[in-house]
Amino acid sequence: MQNRRGVMRGTLALAGGLALPGSLRAQALLGPAPPLVPMRLSPDQLIDLKCCIRPLRAAGPNLGTETVRDRLVIHNYGHGGSGWSLSWGSAEVAVGKALSVLPDRIAVVGCGIIGLTSAIVAQRAGLAVTIYARDPIQQTRSFRASGSFTPGSRIALAGPAGPQFPDQWEHMARYSWKMFRTMLGLPGEPVAFGDSYSLSDNPIERRTWPADPAIAARYETTGLPQQNSEFARLDSRIRDIVPQSVPLQPGENPFGTPYATRSSHMYFNFPAYSHLLMTEFLARGGRYEMRNLHSPADVGDLPERVVIHATGYAARDLWQDHTVIPVRGQTGWLVPQPGVNYSIRSNNMSAMAKADGIVIMNNNPDLGEMLGVGDSMELPNRAPVEEAMASLSRFFWPADQRGAA
Amino acid sequence: MNRRALAIALAGGLAMLAASPATGRGTQSGVYTTGQADEGARIYAARCAMCHGAQLEGTVETPGLVGKFVANWAGRPLGNLFAYLGRAMPQNAPGTLSPEDTTALVAFILRANGAPAGSRPLSPDAAGLGRIDFEAASLAR
Repeated sequence: MQNRRGVMRGTLALAGGLALPGSLRAQALLGPAPPLVPMRLSPDQLIDLKCCIRPLRAAGPNLGTETVRDRLVIHNYGHGGSGWSLSWGSAEVAVGKALSVLPDRIAVVGCGIIGLTSAIVAQRAGLAVTIYARDPIQQTRSFRASGSFTPGSRIALAGPAGPQFPDQWEHMARYSWKMFRTMLGLPGEPVAFGDSYSLSDNPIERRTWPADPAIAARYETTGLPQQNSEFARLDSRIRDIVPQSVPLQPGENPFGTPYATRSSHMYFNFPAYSHLLMTEFLARGGRYEMRNLHSPADVGDLPERVVIHATGYAARDLWQDHTVIPVRGQTGWLVPQPGVNYSIRSNNMSAMAKADGIVIMNNNPDLGEMLGVGDSMELPNRAPVEEAMASLSRFFWPADQRGAA
Repeated sequence: MNRRALAIALAGGLAMLAASPATGRGTQSGVYTTGQADEGARIYAARCAMCHGAQLEGTVETPGLVGKFVANWAGRPLGNLFAYLGRAMPQNAPGTLSPEDTTALVAFILRANGAPAGSRPLSPDAAGLGRIDFEAASLAR
């Protein structure tokens, strides 16, 4: 097994040391950590490419209300790269507003993760719910995400979101986190944790994005963010519950790189998760109707008088909300590999094991949140995925054996 | 007919009037020309097929433009589709189709869904398109 090279390198480093850190003493007592099953990152394993547009809304998600004819419309869209992660908290806010006008039935427009979760939260509160959508969740943009708990990803721009938004975000993030905990360990693992290794030849430091004074343009003048410093950075508000990266000692690093960190990351297995939600929705008497709304006026034709609007990026056209900014992202998917239950990341290329495959991402480290901003091309591009696979292969296989896995 | 039944019938009639365009002209009555649809096919190949597929079949992720597509657009004024294509498509460059190109694409899509061609061209006139009913397909034709 080739990754023993790494383990051996780590062992050699250990032999050269004099004082043993506490974690290594523990390792000596318990024996070496079991080796990781190496990932097969050869091109033949690539079975899917997915591309999707995140709905970044400068002011943060729209959770406002308005009236169309005599229908009360409660918005729940525009969650950037945080829709899955904030879904329960955001649904709680939207459904709370619906409940306050005492309906016995509501409509939900859209069946992505926000719409479907909103529907279930409403059902759990005793309401009868009909979902109107063009496609079921498996065919929505939600299903084309990468599926990690990333509640602060492109969720808002700090200025337009205003001073109240961070508190609302924190409430939604904490609420969602607790709800995800109720789904751990269920059959099919709709929600799971995995070890995530960050690997480098150089010391690993958290990247910061100070404002570049040479860039005068900004969202307020152009309608698009112009640099990373404009984005809201909120993740540190929940670092007391979300596992943070810890540096690995040489003997703890299975990959033998000079520097490594490990964190425990929560992720979502789309097939099991969507099956679980749809099963609950239908078991509670939910009705799904294929319907493509073309304008806000169409809401007036729905029989329900209270409507939760959750169409994500589609709201840009449907509701003519041009503060929704497209942010393109893409993933490659490899054949699921039994025994591989961890992720690696290096230079912002990553491979993350999930139930429905190993997710490959190649995100330019110098662009940060700006990667894909303003890009609404939704066709995937294979080359960056293959580049990431080839690059990450070095952690498992020597150059002359790559592709032979 | 008692008064209550009359009221229900009247209400039903009004509802039907509200849901359907003002004239009886529908997409099954020949609302575009073959030349327009041919032009639409050329534009489609260049601007649309990359996502929606050469046969308008779509993918799991991109809507097809035949079959289920009709269910999503029929029963409404054809102007809805015209307006949507004009402002939202192609997704990577919305708003870049001219009204004439958009009309040709509508003609091409209608033909692909079994609506017959006629002798008069479809006009890129939003009000006029708003009076044409996008009718269900007529597969038995």
